[in-house]
Amino acid sequence: MAFVEQHIHDAPTSFWSKYLFSFDHKVIGKQFLWFGIFWLLMGGLMALLIRWTLAYPGVPFPIIGHLLFPHSDGVVPPDTYAMLFTMHGTIMIFFAITPILIGAFGNFCIPLLIGARDMIFPTLNMLSFWFSMASGVVLLASLALPLGAAAGGWTSYPTLSTNLGQPGAGQTMWLISLFLFGVSSTMGAVNYITTVITLRAPGMDYFKMPLTVWGLFLTSILNAIFVPVLGAGLLLLTFDRVFGTTFFLAGAAATSGKGDPVLFQHVFWIFGHPEVYILILPAWGITSDLLSFFSRKPAFGYKMTALSLTTITVLSTVVYGHHMYTTQMSPLLTQSFMTLTMLISIPSAIFFANWLGTLWKGSIRFTSPMLFSLGVVFVFGLGGLTGLYLASTSIDLYLHDTYFVVGHFHYTMAASVLLGGFAGIYFWMPKMFGRMMDERLAKIHFWCTMIPLNGIFTGMMVVGYAGMHRRLYNPFIYEFLQRLIPINIFITMSAIAMGLAQFIFLYNFFKTIFGKNIPAASSNPWEVGTLEWELPSPAPHYNFKEIPVVKSGPHEFGNPNLKGDRDFQYQTEELVKV
Amino acid sequence: MMTNNPGKELQNLKNQVGMTVALISFGMMFATLFLGYFLVRSNSSTWPPVEIANLPTLLPFLSTLVMALSSFTYFKLEKEVTYRKHFWFATMALGLAFLVLQWELWGALNASGILASNGHVPSMIYAFTWLHSAHIVMGLMTLMWLGHFIFRKPEAVTELKLMNVGKFWHFLGVVWLLMYLMLFVL
Ligand code: HEM
Ligand SMILES: [Cu+2]
Repeated sequence: MAFVEQHIHDAPTSFWSKYLFSFDHKVIGKQFLWFGIFWLLMGGLMALLIRWTLAYPGVPFPIIGHLLFPHSDGVVPPDTYAMLFTMHGTIMIFFAITPILIGAFGNFCIPLLIGARDMIFPTLNMLSFWFSMASGVVLLASLALPLGAAAGGWTSYPTLSTNLGQPGAGQTMWLISLFLFGVSSTMGAVNYITTVITLRAPGMDYFKMPLTVWGLFLTSILNAIFVPVLGAGLLLLTFDRVFGTTFFLAGAAATSGKGDPVLFQHVFWIFGHPEVYILILPAWGITSDLLSFFSRKPAFGYKMTALSLTTITVLSTVVYGHHMYTTQMSPLLTQSFMTLTMLISIPSAIFFANWLGTLWKGSIRFTSPMLFSLGVVFVFGLGGLTGLYLASTSIDLYLHDTYFVVGHFHYTMAASVLLGGFAGIYFWMPKMFGRMMDERLAKIHFWCTMIPLNGIFTGMMVVGYAGMHRRLYNPFIYEFLQRLIPINIFITMSAIAMGLAQFIFLYNFFKTIFGKNIPAASSNPWEVGTLEWELPSPAPHYNFKEIPVVKSGPHEFGNPNLKGDRDFQYQTEELVKV
Repeated sequence: MMTNNPGKELQNLKNQVGMTVALISFGMMFATLFLGYFLVRSNSSTWPPVEIANLPTLLPFLSTLVMALSSFTYFKLEKEVTYRKHFWFATMALGLAFLVLQWELWGALNASGILASNGHVPSMIYAFTWLHSAHIVMGLMTLMWLGHFIFRKPEAVTELKLMNVGKFWHFLGVVWLLMYLMLFVL
């Protein structure tokens, strides 16, 4: 067993070394959390601007409209609309979900859950955060440019993203920002992978790791392999824009030589499809663990779940073509991609059935993390099933680039990951900040999020199925779409409701961290057996005074010899024999 | 996997894993470029296309030679403790020479009318060599870092540092060799 014991360092004392340039994985995790929440709010505001335009084209945005768009009487102008959906997608994927799920939980959980004192390369870890920060600053700055920020969609296909489609520095800054972000992600991935391989506590073999760690580990592997692919694509596109190369230029955009715009789509989706799994795997991992913790029984088919996740990771590398059915690939290729994509449903169905198996006959505790986990089960079920429609070529020819796709990926990516992220925040809050969040508010937050969320995304699928295309400034200039205005208004109302509900979370979050007279959390409030709960809340800077020797899996509940909240992975050796 | 001195052994292991994963990441970036090359090449009816009919041959050949020599001197640097400083200088000098040759190559391409804006094949030649040279600069920086220890703190020159810097340098050599074969030979 590869095992390295790290030394206990002295606690940092100055403000700088404690909160800003900290090497401590827990502090860096929290930095990523704040970073992600800031961008989540930015992205959310943009979503509301987009939705408002789709429900009430030509009507000024309420309250802050005149402030934001003084030259158009508070109405979102068409070019700004393109910028908004581009920035919304970019921000949510790279600056909200990634920092929260991978940056915050990855950093916070991996060392604690595998029984390590820190990440293996703390300096690299700190650099990774500051690279993210730099990339965020570049993106934010691009919003202030006279010609506006990037507006070619989060996929930034040429020719939309070449100098012809996008004059001005916005797109170039977008490319630089994403490249910096990629460097940060790759650094994080190298760190996480090496940490999981070498720093697991003695006895913690791969099949004793919590599924959260499994999810984060697989995510990091995909990150290390595929983010550089995007990096290469971004660089080539930057060269096209800045140094006059012609990789992706064709037709009127190419002054002399000719290139191939579809080449970029290949490069983008070779990265892009794994990317969607990069985002969802940590959420799957967290959900798998929480379902077991709060059903008070072992995760059903733990090993099969871990192996299914691994299979999905492997398969996700060879299905990217399903994003390009309409690019006139050879039918043989199209059919192969279709078959491979459909194959993914097999491992997906396995772990999904395992989730249900975990719940079956459990003594379920409906705490807030559990509610959010159940939410993930529900929305991921819907999202995954709609993926099958899109996977079949003949249906996708019709559905491609409609709101059905938008509904699909918001159910899988936005809804599942958001709910999974909230589950994680409510769950690890006591270990992160030493205080419990208000359970009653948390449950209200859940229902006020869950109900409108389904209104939004089911609504999107309905209008998409009826033929409404994505990325149109005003779809209702087409007569056949005018009948969809009421449904679009319903979607927008739901979105506003969901947006408002997030203030419940923010209030709860800030009150818990900064409020007065909030009682300290006990060390193991949820009564679970993974290693981090053995430590006091919040965890001390060195995590474990003595590295525990692990004897059992992460969810071996029900050992009659041990009390509920004292049943850790290193104690229950008696259970293993049963 | 228990040895007499598990602490040190495993300390080495951890850093080896880190460097290996990092090289996989770097490798994927170059692999993407090569994938683009193969797509372009398999779609073009004639090779070499007219845009690059008269490519310079001597300069890239010299670059390859210099790169190979530098890998050799690095290898010696690792092995020969007494002459380590000499071989460090040799490797640095060869690395810098490689950059000069690349600079000359870009000039020669320009002179023979092969411009980056002439289409995706010339674009590829420029972009690939740009990116590779940028990595050579990074490689030289790691060599400087190693040099700092060789000259100032010889006792801190661990096998691990030598190995990791070496892995990166040899990796860049292999990438160059592939680029040379793809762009200038085959
Ligand atoms: C269960 C298996 C899944 C299948 C079979 C599937 C299938 C597909 C297909 C065929 C498309 C292309 C639709 C089109 O553009 O015409 C698509 C789009 C998309 N899917 Fe999935 N998907 C699955 C799961 C997921 C998951 C888990 C995520 C994210 C976490 C996800 C995120 C996305 C995104 C982001 C897009 C659209 C990107 C864009 O065009 O902007 N999918 N999916
Ligand atoms: Cu996909």
